[in-house]
Amino acid sequence: MKLRRLLWAGALAALFSAAVWGCGESRTPFAGTYRSEAPYAGKGHVDLILKEDGEGLWILKPVTLRFKWKVEKGQIWLYTREGGIIIATPSEGGNKLNLDMSGTWHPSCPVERCVIFRRISGGSG
Amino acid sequence: MTEADGLKLENVGTEIRVPAGALVVKQGEPPRCFYVVVSGRLQVFRETAEGIRTHLTELGPGDYFGEVALVTGQPRTASVAALEDAVLLEIDKAEFDHVLDHNPQLARHIIRQLSHWLVKGDHRLEQEVVHQAKLRQVSWFDYLLMLGLSLVLALVFNLYNDNQIPLVHGWGEKLNVTEIPLTRALELHRRQAAVFVDARKANFYDRRHIQGAINLPLLYFDLQYPMFQFILEQMGWQDKPLIVYGGGFSRRFDHELAHRLEEKGHPQVMVLGGHYAAWEKHFPVVEKAGSPPPAMPLGIPGLIEWLPVGFLGLLLIPPVRRSPYLAMAGRVVLGVIFVEFALSKIMRPGVFALNVVEYGLMPPWGVNLWALFLPWAELVVGLFLVLGIRTRAAATLIGAMNLIFIVGLVNAILLDLPINCGCVGEVGEPVNWWKVVKNVGMLLMAVQIFFYDRFLVLDRGGFIWREREI
Repeated sequence: MKLRRLLWAGALAALFSAAVWGCGESRTPFAGTYRSEAPYAGKGHVDLILKEDGEGLWILKPVTLRFKWKVEKGQIWLYTREGGIIIATPSEGGNKLNLDMSGTWHPSCPVERCVIFRRISGGSG
Repeated sequence: MTEADGLKLENVGTEIRVPAGALVVKQGEPPRCFYVVVSGRLQVFRETAEGIRTHLTELGPGDYFGEVALVTGQPRTASVAALEDAVLLEIDKAEFDHVLDHNPQLARHIIRQLSHWLVKGDHRLEQEVVHQAKLRQVSWFDYLLMLGLSLVLALVFNLYNDNQIPLVHGWGEKLNVTEIPLTRALELHRRQAAVFVDARKANFYDRRHIQGAINLPLLYFDLQYPMFQFILEQMGWQDKPLIVYGGGFSRRFDHELAHRLEEKGHPQVMVLGGHYAAWEKHFPVVEKAGSPPPAMPLGIPGLIEWLPVGFLGLLLIPPVRRSPYLAMAGRVVLGVIFVEFALSKIMRPGVFALNVVEYGLMPPWGVNLWALFLPWAELVVGLFLVLGIRTRAAATLIGAMNLIFIVGLVNAILLDLPINCGCVGEVGEPVNWWKVVKNVGMLLMAVQIFFYDRFLVLDRGGFIWREREI
């Protein structure tokens, strides 16, 4: 009976760990407001707001887009409405974000599809 | 009065003391003595060469043992160990034969006891056969239970999920986008009288696209539309008709992108007609022999996935191949892998649906249903395997899923699709022959479980484990 109890406890512990593992990392260090270094699409600078509750805003006046975001393995994942993922790689202590607009994970941001953001406010980075 | 008192054995034998845990009689040994329990408790058990122990009975004061081997002259049929400090009356074979010759009452008693053992043995054998038969049964109910449970959980979860998706993508929506025949589009392309817009993801576009086409992936429409608009303005193409192409088998992208462009106020938007892949043959294309998309390191989950590859080696050793312990280990490994697969996809079915689209094997109506159902099926079946519930049916379902994955992976490799697997995690997992080998390993694990799983199983007939009392 002891072995059986151990088995169930082990299975539940494994599931709990897996579930916790799947929850992602803390958003706090990266929450804040960022602005693109260069104007985007000849229109103006993009403001990127990452809120701690997982909501994000992409503001290119006059349009504001809403999305969700999370932190995974130290990178920021932005989820588009259609299910696509844009990955942002933080550097300089979280003050700089390289957004890979290709929608495919790369170890580094491909130059021709990279949008660079700088932190303006917020966060603990 | 106990049995021993009635046998008039008081004048024979020697009293011996046996400490707790000591083995009095060992299965397979030649018989030397007959024993009567004076005090203490002893356990009678059999053990197979593989170490599977069957607990037969417990003995207390007045019980006796060792008579079967002495009467038949065969080696000991079972082992007897003291559960606590015990005192036994040890009677050697000569004394035993002497007592038997002069004590018909004892002889009759032993015959009665042996007959009782035979009948009980038959009964036990029957029980075991029935039990094994039940254990090996796989009924439709098992499949219905797992698949039905997965479907119900998937549908209910989707109702309350922040990232919920419709059961069928675009169901009830009328996009009303004009299709342009291939020959007419080719003519416009030749005259550079239209702008061709590729609706696929960048890695597909990079690999092969119509000469001069602009990439505007539907998935990133909101983010990338300003840049698309900027390019049109820079090139002076604002007034040219837009021809969208790049829908796959599921026609997920092209019609919807055209519709979104119309909503943005573009006056002339059309979708390239005919077969979704016809443009590759008829239009001049730009090709780039690219390397496969980069793979994101998966860490521990990536390492666990290698275990089934190691399993392939173990299968070459016949005794190991048939081992129920290997089956048990396989259950845990497969279960953990599938639960992990599931958890990485369950929260965002929309992301997984796009992975399904990229394989190009699923019809439009099936993409979202599959994306909702599969992760829950992986979770439920994985849990059933780990917890030892309906393991044969669970192994069949896991095997079936592995077969589907293998077909998808081989198809993607042969067609050189620039995609990631979408099996575990949301991005960055490679599609290559190693991934196929891992899935073959998992498939063989499922087969091994189906045939040899025996222990720590909660199945019809109760929970079964190593030291099972029959």
